[in-house]
Amino acid sequence: MSELLALLFFPAGLSLLAGGLVYEWVDRKLVARLQNRMGPRWYQPLADIVKLLAKEEVIPTGVNKLLFVGLPIAALAGALTSALYVPMFGLAPSFSFPGDLIVALYLLSLLTLCTGLAGSNTTNTFSLVGATRTLTQMFSYEAPFLLTLLGPALAAGTWQIGGIDAYAQNHLLLLTQPIGLLVALIGLMGKLELSPFDSPEAETEIVAGALTEYSGRGLALFRLGKNVELVIGLTLVASFYLGGLANPLEFLLKTGGLLLGLSLIQAVMTRLRIDQTVGMWWRYGALLVLAQWLLLIVTQGTVS
Amino acid sequence: MATQEKGRKFIVPIGPQHPALKEPGHFEFTVDGEIVTDATVRLGYVHRGIEKATESRSWVQNLYLLERICGICSHIHALAYCLGVEKLAGVTVPPRAQAVRVLVAELERIHSHLLWVGVAAHEAGFDTLFMYSWRDRETVMDLLEALTGNRVNYSANLLGGVKIDVTDEQSDAIWRGLDFLEDRTRHYLDITTSDSVFLRRTRGIGVTTPEQAKRLGLVGPTARASGIWHDLRVDAPYAGYADYPITMIVSDTGDLETRFVVRIKELFESYRVIRHILDTLPDGELVTRVPRRIKAGETISRVEAPRGELFYFIRSNGTDSPERIKVRTPTMCNMASVLALAVGHQLADMPMILVGVDPCFSCNDRTVVVDQGGARGGWTWEQLRQYGIDYYRRQP
Repeated sequence: MSELLALLFFPAGLSLLAGGLVYEWVDRKLVARLQNRMGPRWYQPLADIVKLLAKEEVIPTGVNKLLFVGLPIAALAGALTSALYVPMFGLAPSFSFPGDLIVALYLLSLLTLCTGLAGSNTTNTFSLVGATRTLTQMFSYEAPFLLTLLGPALAAGTWQIGGIDAYAQNHLLLLTQPIGLLVALIGLMGKLELSPFDSPEAETEIVAGALTEYSGRGLALFRLGKNVELVIGLTLVASFYLGGLANPLEFLLKTGGLLLGLSLIQAVMTRLRIDQTVGMWWRYGALLVLAQWLLLIVTQGTVS
Repeated sequence: MATQEKGRKFIVPIGPQHPALKEPGHFEFTVDGEIVTDATVRLGYVHRGIEKATESRSWVQNLYLLERICGICSHIHALAYCLGVEKLAGVTVPPRAQAVRVLVAELERIHSHLLWVGVAAHEAGFDTLFMYSWRDRETVMDLLEALTGNRVNYSANLLGGVKIDVTDEQSDAIWRGLDFLEDRTRHYLDITTSDSVFLRRTRGIGVTTPEQAKRLGLVGPTARASGIWHDLRVDAPYAGYADYPITMIVSDTGDLETRFVVRIKELFESYRVIRHILDTLPDGELVTRVPRRIKAGETISRVEAPRGELFYFIRSNGTDSPERIKVRTPTMCNMASVLALAVGHQLADMPMILVGVDPCFSCNDRTVVVDQGGARGGWTWEQLRQYGIDYYRRQP
């Protein structure tokens, strides 16, 4: 019974969806203010979702209907499920087992994978280009992002998110692994396709990228999934690098601070081309993380 | 995408309805992966038949019609028309009117170039620069509104002069506005030449050599960014430009970054000239009398629009309306370079290359009949009418 409650209402489920909408609004508002615009009103993300859910879902010709309808559901489900293993809102994770970090990270990648599949499922040119770019981008940021989140795990000596969080509360990993924090934050932006990593959905080239053919319910679910992933990603980074999440207040402050950082980067950056994105990740991102790892292994070896 | 069936091309269509284009034009880019291998264009979605319409209106009415060819550079169209008609009529426009014409033309250039900086930045995904440059552009829009009463289609020209005067208060307001804009423009020049991420999208992209520029017949800032020394304000001064000389901004690098630099530096030149005009505005009449019927004859007039050379051919048969007016807009000349540059570049660079020439679609749209049978010559009015009727009958 309590599992069902956790899944449907708190900390996953409805409360997480609401949280995702709030975080989307904060992000949009911050970027808008940085760009000298007014930005949306607080209920705009909710209004968008309600409108999309009420709209007719047009299924284009030439697609596999089951995939077209099922992929958005899988994407959102994956994002919501991974929330169960993460200390959402500063509370202990609902479920926990040794090695749940890997499971949570793979569940998070499900959204990107579903977006790519959804794009290649249609016959739309923009969708196909977008899907190619989405998947190309995933292969570039995914490995460095995974490695940065394994850095704290290595330091804590456990691959259990709850355990790492507890360790981080006593050790500020921001100081010992500064590169990790930077790469994790930028990796999160790659995952969420935020500027400057928004070439998979570059509107001036390929309209809306992989999701061009989606309208109505499918688009709403994909957007909700992305919002949820924003919250989870911020929670993970804050928990691992900013000294853990002991209570809801810390959660709000730390994830809010990270969100401000994300908005700043988004506002000052130009969109990178997909080849530049890939080049940047493998040339700098991956090498930086590997250097960090080497340092970690050496120090761990000498300390213990 | 490279895994598509062999022999079948993968074509990415941009337009006629596309977020990259605010006006309808249709481009088809054949891509291999992300690399563009072929490009074609189809124009004509917003053809309005203005040239034909001028023949049924009087000389004065045409002033208002021709001003509406372009929403961005409306003043320069009216100016080119006025200069041509005045030449035909053999009237001399008072110097104060000529100076005011240059003043409005340069204010218009400022608003057009600032608009372009924003649009080009948006195409590269740098929306912050877009928002800021458009915010600052409002300053010059307000100045134009205070001066002429309108934000666009200022309608400052009359045949034989201008209908607006510059008061001392307006002069002060323009000074203040220019001080603000000059400060901001310096900031934009700094950003577009030093922001490393932005430079990755502009430096070395879409390089047009001087030879290419000459062969493709480029005009305006696009040509000047490719080392072509051509600016009608300098080469063939019209209106008041003989009294208020301009320094030509030329650079021969030819990439997208240079196009930013040339246009932004032209802004400084505009600020300088406007201040010069305000300082030394000659006294005198604003308008001189032009007869209702223009003497028979034909003439051309050329002016430097914000986008490049604008060309008018005007023929009069001695009545109160023209016999033929032919307009060649700068976008028409520059469009070929988009297709030539596209091949070999990445799909992601296409919006930037396209916008790099500062296209204005409604200006350049015209009907072209391609007759592959080899017959030469145009269509008569009757043939055109019949074609129109048949075309709409064929529609489902």
